[in-house]
Amino acid sequence: MRKAFAGAVMAVLVVVMVSPVFAAGSAHQNTGCGLGTMLWKGNADNSSLFQAFQATTNGSFGSQTFGLTTGTSECSQPSAFVKNDRLNEFVVANMDNLAKDIAMGGGETLAAFSELLQIPTEKRSEFYQKLQANFAKIFTSENVVLANVVDNVAAVSAN
Amino acid sequence: MYFVFIPAVYRTLRSVYLFFVVLLPVLCCLPGADAFADDRSDYLAALVQSAREKRLDGERTWKILLHYEKAGSGVESLVDDTKFFLAPDGKKNPRTELEATIAGFFQQETGDVEHPQCRFIARYAWLKEQLSIDEARLLRVECAKWKEALASMKPKSAVLVFPAAHGNGPSSMFGHTLLRIDSDKRNELLSHAVSYAAYTEQSGGLAYAFRGIFGYFKGYFSILPYYEKVTEYNNIDHRDIWEYDLNFSEHEVLRMVMHMWELKDIYSDYYFFDENCSYDLLYLLEAARPSLELTDEFRNGLKSWVIPTDTVRVIKESGIVTKINYRPSQATRILFLASQTESAYQDVAADVVKQKTSPQAVLKANIAPEKKKQILDLAAELIQYRFSRKELGKEDYQKQFLAALNARSTLGVSTADAVPVPTTPPEQGHLPGKFSVGAGYRTDSYFMEIIWRPAYHDLMDPDDGYVEGAQINFFDLRGRYYFKEEQARLHSLRLIDIFSLATRDKFFRPVSWKVNTGLEQEVLSDGEEHLIGRLNVGGGVAYSSRFLGASYLMLDADLIAGGALADNFSFGVGPSAGILKNVNDFWKISLSARSLFYSLGENRRSIKATLGQNFKITTNNSITLSLSREKTSGHYQSDVLLGWNFYY
Repeated sequence: MRKAFAGAVMAVLVVVMVSPVFAAGSAHQNTGCGLGTMLWKGNADNSSLFQAFQATTNGSFGSQTFGLTTGTSECSQPSAFVKNDRLNEFVVANMDNLAKDIAMGGGETLAAFSELLQIPTEKRSEFYQKLQANFAKIFTSENVVLANVVDNVAAVSAN
Repeated sequence: MYFVFIPAVYRTLRSVYLFFVVLLPVLCCLPGADAFADDRSDYLAALVQSAREKRLDGERTWKILLHYEKAGSGVESLVDDTKFFLAPDGKKNPRTELEATIAGFFQQETGDVEHPQCRFIARYAWLKEQLSIDEARLLRVECAKWKEALASMKPKSAVLVFPAAHGNGPSSMFGHTLLRIDSDKRNELLSHAVSYAAYTEQSGGLAYAFRGIFGYFKGYFSILPYYEKVTEYNNIDHRDIWEYDLNFSEHEVLRMVMHMWELKDIYSDYYFFDENCSYDLLYLLEAARPSLELTDEFRNGLKSWVIPTDTVRVIKESGIVTKINYRPSQATRILFLASQTESAYQDVAADVVKQKTSPQAVLKANIAPEKKKQILDLAAELIQYRFSRKELGKEDYQKQFLAALNARSTLGVSTADAVPVPTTPPEQGHLPGKFSVGAGYRTDSYFMEIIWRPAYHDLMDPDDGYVEGAQINFFDLRGRYYFKEEQARLHSLRLIDIFSLATRDKFFRPVSWKVNTGLEQEVLSDGEEHLIGRLNVGGGVAYSSRFLGASYLMLDADLIAGGALADNFSFGVGPSAGILKNVNDFWKISLSARSLFYSLGENRRSIKATLGQNFKITTNNSITLSLSREKTSGHYQSDVLLGWNFYY
């Protein structure tokens, strides 16, 4: 009954929406190991009526339904902090916000990064200052990737 | 031994079935006919007997763990995946499923499938407790995968997460809810997000909508790092996130995670309107604390759909929310940063983004260091924003973003304040249903009007808790009784009515748009009202000013169809414009006008102006006063309406 009602309402709506301007879905686009590695799934910004449905389903693309991690298999691995998978995954997924936080001298992403590096709370502000002062040595070029960033952070913080 | 057991089993037809289908294979497969196997089959029979005596299949926890809902005279699970049931008729039979589950615990381990003790770990934990199961008398099973997942999550506490609608997509109000499971990690980004979503290979089109409405998509639970969800909502969709801390104990959170584990790779047919993300999440909360009655609120209610804010309300009313947190989207943060920056420096930031000046030039400029900081903070956020909106290619973005950050890193720690939290969280806004009673006068007759709108928010409804300028009305039904003619008639039925009034400024250039369709009374060339079908769309620009509020200008296209029209239809275009202003917290005014020239089908001309006002009385009560005047094909009509709106 409930479904029949909703269905009846929507059936008419659907007929109205037969229009060529449907948003094309895009799966994980633009993946990589450097800046600009954003997850574009479920982008609702394309002004289309089908936002209504995109927004409701939050359609998840791909088969990964229980992925505790997202993986960095396509990236070359840093030599510092070996085997710290969570750190590497975090940096790959958050590199842009991490760069921003380091440049601005603080922020939630930088705090999470520090926690994964097990920097004690009382040493964080010193750590942040060091990274900020050495921003250009960490993010050496626009083509910087995971391995560079992690290794550069290790080198900078060892000084 | 079998002879002792058989009379009990044969008691009902169902039990016969159970015996052959479930228990017998289990008993047969036990290793050898040794003493242990005998003991185990005795023990199984005893446990099944005990479960029957305790009527565990009728317990609320069992109903929750299996997602059983009333269906006709019996029950039916909302889970559609056959892997979720151990009894062949488990979807509809709580008792056979319970007994098959107990039998499953006695199964031999096979290499490729997880053992039921692990696969259905929440059921196992509950039944172990209810039946005081002695694990020493079962087969020992390791559950390595579960232990690994648990070690990775380390669940301690839980948070309900609600991403609010985004600025230029009113339909995202139908939004989403998810859960965050916190561990011993202090940083929330490092927590896990649990979400129920439809698995789709497509994301648009007629077939997509159809499949979503009628349950042809499969919904799965997923677990992802929370930072991915924050990126998705805050940085890509630009939706603010609200977080509601729940008062679950560590033990309750563990129970919830166990149930999540049971739902791993298990699908339920996904229905956009009721069996959706927000509804299925309620089961997880009930699994944590079975005394919570959350799904019942919707099953027993009058509403035919489940809207995320309603689930947030129900959860909050259940008393389990301890604290509310707000996580502004990047667009919200940009607006706030801009509001803290003097206009001249906003322009400098805009110039950096447009590459009219460089971040290095800002550093060298004769500006106070604090102001440089503001400029570059704003510029860096804007560059990232443009990339997220795909207004900027990846390579250009990388260069510009890094250049801005490089310059910014020389200026010291950011001193920007935190974005202020909106005073009304989404669940404290008006309820999405509306029922109105009003009286008015039209041209030459008094009338009474009744409005029913099941969902969701109108531009004229109070904005608290909602995104300003975002309207989506579904199934807005209006009936009128005219006293002069002593006649009741359908005034309008708008199946959908979306209006996105998104104002433009220095940094954001959104397109405002609208679409509405349905049946309406329209004055035609004979000067009389006739019921016509209408599809009206429009697009344009909107700006905001302190004095006028939001003002917009659009180009409309209007298609009407009906037997009373020459050629049965008429199509026209023309401008529409209006202003919408919140005078104060409880008084809202709108003024709009449109002029349409119909040149396809019946030739006609229509011009109409409307003044609307809304006075908020309480969160869920308001008064509307509207006046309109129109001239259609030479006939003038005036309409005055005073109404009381009740939101439910």
